[in-house]
Amino acid sequence: MELGLKGKRVIVPASTKGILRRVVDQFIDEGCDVAICSRSEDTVARALRELSGGKGTVIGRACDVNDKDDYEAWLEEMIEQLGGVDIFIPGVSAGGGADSERNWWKSFEVDVLSTVRGCEVVIPHMRESGEGAITFITTTASVETFGGPQAYNAMKGSLLVYAKQLSQEVGRDGIRVNCVSPGPIYFEGGVWQMLKDTMAKWFAKVQKDHPPGRLGTPEEVSNCVLFLSSSAASWVSGTNLIVDGGFTKRVQF
Amino acid sequence: MEVIRKNKIVRSNPEKNPNGTPLGKTPEIDLGTQIIPKERYISDEFMEKEWEKIWTKVWLLGCREDQIPDPGDFICTNIGSESVIIVRQHDSRLKAFHNVCMHRGNRLADEGTGHADPFVCGYHGWKYDPDGSFVDIPDIETFPQGKPPCNGLSELPCDTWASFVWFSLNVQVEPLEEYLGELIGHFEPYHFERMAMTRWVTAEWNCNWKASVDAFAESYHTAQTHPQLLWYLEDLDLQIDLYEKHSRYLVPFGLLSPRVDSVGEIPPPLKAMLRGAGMDPASYEGSMNDIRVAVQQYKRATQKEQGKDFSELHDEQLTDDFNYLVFPNVTTNTHSDDLMLFRHRPHPDDPNKMFFDVWMFELIPEGEEWPPLPKHDFRPAGSTRSLGMVIDQDASNLATVQEGMNSAGFPGLWLSDQELRLRHFHKTISDYLEK
Repeated sequence: MELGLKGKRVIVPASTKGILRRVVDQFIDEGCDVAICSRSEDTVARALRELSGGKGTVIGRACDVNDKDDYEAWLEEMIEQLGGVDIFIPGVSAGGGADSERNWWKSFEVDVLSTVRGCEVVIPHMRESGEGAITFITTTASVETFGGPQAYNAMKGSLLVYAKQLSQEVGRDGIRVNCVSPGPIYFEGGVWQMLKDTMAKWFAKVQKDHPPGRLGTPEEVSNCVLFLSSSAASWVSGTNLIVDGGFTKRVQF
Repeated sequence: MEVIRKNKIVRSNPEKNPNGTPLGKTPEIDLGTQIIPKERYISDEFMEKEWEKIWTKVWLLGCREDQIPDPGDFICTNIGSESVIIVRQHDSRLKAFHNVCMHRGNRLADEGTGHADPFVCGYHGWKYDPDGSFVDIPDIETFPQGKPPCNGLSELPCDTWASFVWFSLNVQVEPLEEYLGELIGHFEPYHFERMAMTRWVTAEWNCNWKASVDAFAESYHTAQTHPQLLWYLEDLDLQIDLYEKHSRYLVPFGLLSPRVDSVGEIPPPLKAMLRGAGMDPASYEGSMNDIRVAVQQYKRATQKEQGKDFSELHDEQLTDDFNYLVFPNVTTNTHSDDLMLFRHRPHPDDPNKMFFDVWMFELIPEGEEWPPLPKHDFRPAGSTRSLGMVIDQDASNLATVQEGMNSAGFPGLWLSDQELRLRHFHKTISDYLEK
């Protein structure tokens, strides 16, 4: 199957590690030109070094996705340098936690608002070119009870609603909007590595609750992100693809 | 395991608090690299030498003063094959005695706390005043030789320090203050007397008492045995201080081990530390490794409103674990708001067994009511009831360590520099054996 990604211009914010980094790796392997960022200059510089010399080019600079002006300026800069934008993958998150009301504000600002702001910057450019694909990284923690009631689950859930309704709005302009909702994903340097050490019993239970008996890998998520963002998924819009190895138990009608 | 970075540990300036706990590192001493013979852990002969040269010579921790507040209150505690009672006197002082009736040798009390005024032997009813003297010997007229010339129970040295009661089986023991030495100045700024005892458990473990001390005197085992702690403390770059017979190391809490990297979220143990200090983890915006200093500053700034007085402690003591071995058998995880004290007692006759005492204390804010004293909870060998996650993880190694030490395939302990306190512990043991 041809994904038709070669030469596409891709923006992946907050993407120097984990799932989003694997997404960047794969887009470059497909011959895309990709823009990346992270809060730390050193981290971006290291990622740019590691990613150079691939099939596609990579650009980027340090940027705080949580800072409206900085983030919007970074997006415009990247769009200008790439000569446009075809694919946008917002997936940044403040993470889980139920410590105080502050969790709700942070999840709203980081997970929700940055995604909305990003869409509002990229959509006019996509409209101009007459096509585009936006794929949100959401979570299975929104579609089933998981880890206790908390802002992360609810705020990521609000992105499912936003993505669906946005897809209706921009579909006539040739823009598709979808979500990829991973279950627990394990990688070195990831939250689940930390939870394996700090909450060993719970980790073991979560792992056992996956029918294959393991957690997912970043690549198993990025495969789906690339597919949904590619022309191979040209007739898919407004969907939420669950990528969890069968971890969630609900029936998805 | 790979080390990702070297942590920058912010140390306190001792000049800001010159009467505080000494922070300086002791000079390096060469303890060699030789193997520690396993016989020290498994042989009856070595155990007998320890009894003769150590247990019957040193000061030993008996109880807390507030466990026996009123005249006639006593605690009975066993050490090896001996049993000792410590009794509150009518003049509020404390005395210690061998737990044995001078008539036919019966024990006067079982282990634990109680009240006796007088002590009555359960066999023939000999009675003893809390000061040890005979109160009544039934049918004394049938003893043509009269009462025993000792005039009562066999008394032992007993003294108190920093709310703790100590005794010795050696009637010629040096003064307690001399024995504790430099540690007095180390511990006093913590004010243990402001801390309430909250837990008192004794577990019978299938290992030598020294294997248990060892488990609390090195951090090399953290990565394999306590992986959760890598997300909470520095396990690699620790200041080790070796004194004449005691030792300590300083374990910075409130940061990530050099063996792991931030995952962007505050790990649960660090969140618990922030919450424990009264801070909101969700509002903390700094890096993972700055949590330590942020907690120190917050505790320092809010101590008054929290009813706590940390004025004699250095900033680093507000987060870190000052981990001591009070030779021979008391280890402490000393913290500003709590004290985790473990007593490692030898078995009466089996080098492969021991008793592990858990004494937990919590700082009670000024004006708050103290909780009732905990009841003694005994866990026989093989008990599966938890002593807390970290101790359970340590205990899970010890029985198999002892089994392995008895193997013909094992000559002795092969120690790293991270385990220098174990080498020093064995040197102190040797010093006593040669006395």
